[in-house]
Amino acid sequence: MIELDQRIAEQLTEITLNSSMQVRCGSSNAFLVTASMIEPLINEFQMGGVYISASRPAPELIGTFTEIGIPVDSIQFVDCVSSALLGGTENPYNNISYVDSPIMLESILLRTLFHLKQMPTEQNFVILDSVNALAIYNEERMLAEYLHTFINTFRARDVLSAVVTVPDQTPPSVLSNLDLYCTDLIDRGQVVIS
Amino acid sequence: MLGTPQYTRDRCITGIHGLDEITRGGIPYGATVLVGGTCGSGKTTLTMEFLVHGAQMGEACAYFAATEPSVKLLENIRQYTFFDMEMVDKGLINVFDMDVVYSWLGLTKATFDRDDINSLVKAITDIVNTIGVTRLVIDSVTTLCYKIPNDQLIRDFLFTLGKTLATQGCTSFLVAEITSAGAKAHWSSFGVEEAILDGIMVLGDIDRMGHLLRYLQVVKMRGTDHSRAKYAIELTPMGVMMTPMLKWGVDSD
Repeated sequence: MIELDQRIAEQLTEITLNSSMQVRCGSSNAFLVTASMIEPLINEFQMGGVYISASRPAPELIGTFTEIGIPVDSIQFVDCVSSALLGGTENPYNNISYVDSPIMLESILLRTLFHLKQMPTEQNFVILDSVNALAIYNEERMLAEYLHTFINTFRARDVLSAVVTVPDQTPPSVLSNLDLYCTDLIDRGQVVIS
Repeated sequence: MLGTPQYTRDRCITGIHGLDEITRGGIPYGATVLVGGTCGSGKTTLTMEFLVHGAQMGEACAYFAATEPSVKLLENIRQYTFFDMEMVDKGLINVFDMDVVYSWLGLTKATFDRDDINSLVKAITDIVNTIGVTRLVIDSVTTLCYKIPNDQLIRDFLFTLGKTLATQGCTSFLVAEITSAGAKAHWSSFGVEEAILDGIMVLGDIDRMGHLLRYLQVVKMRGTDHSRAKYAIELTPMGVMMTPMLKWGVDSD
């Protein structure tokens, strides 16, 4: 059984709804960090939200979250990966919508806004997983512009946003822009293996 | 326009996500707006949503279907949650097949002359008056104008229609099919519509590495200040949603 990082839950208690968090993780602990963030948002704060999965297909994430006891009923997934895999969109889940490609950045934003409009929960979050996955497809300047729009859109709507990034795989200019736009930082980017 | 204008015209609130912001409060009442777009760009959905929001506010609306039979149109539009068939049943949204209108008028010829055009304008105006229509859509004016043999007659038809509808206080969307929506393209099908009508909205696609991203741009709107930027649009079950297009993601053709 996976042991969640309780310090992330503690940090979340100090964050306001219109915050934008930069969540730095390493390539080996990315799932642990996102799971440690989502678990208290769902179970402790009774929030709902949208999870933008650009790193992995949403069905895989749903399976893993469910396995470790995180309910996914109040999460709507915007899957930017599965459409590129033939047969990737055939699954039993009805809380996934698909974007053709991670290059359709505006579509991702609009889908997220659409799902937020339909959320029954009063307090909501948006998780973008991850900036480095989007950086594979999108040019640096466009990605920086997008993150600027993305963060400000949700701050203006009192929706908690969390932008997951693996710093050493993210273009430096994008990373420095994130430092500028985000109000909070959860830093689990350094993984020490002893 | 800089600063606050001294006088602002009454507006027709479209209710379409983002569009009223782009036009700084809605489309001026009685305006005739050309909605030009490439195939699959969302013209029909956008214009039908415009009527639905009118119907929700108790306005009488009319949709003249010239490109597809009304039965097919309604079947397609029913997939959207914003649309309620009851609006049609209650007579708030009135859908007319142009073929049926032509038959009523005895317009069976392949091309229309000036008398035919006058009787067509009169028929549309009579419908607007009788039902008290305040929002009207003709989808598409391109199909209709194919029956009009020359540019002068097309110009006269659109000018008379626009003037008559404006007099009745009817805000109208005339749909035009265009083959290209880039900067070098015409905004309209025949090149004469754009100068006569009060507003031009263009819907098109941007090819981003092989993926088509829909956009909307308000090119012209008399009587109001408005944004002239491109907005990415998404056709959701709740209707059209839009967001400013990323500046680094717009091709400058």
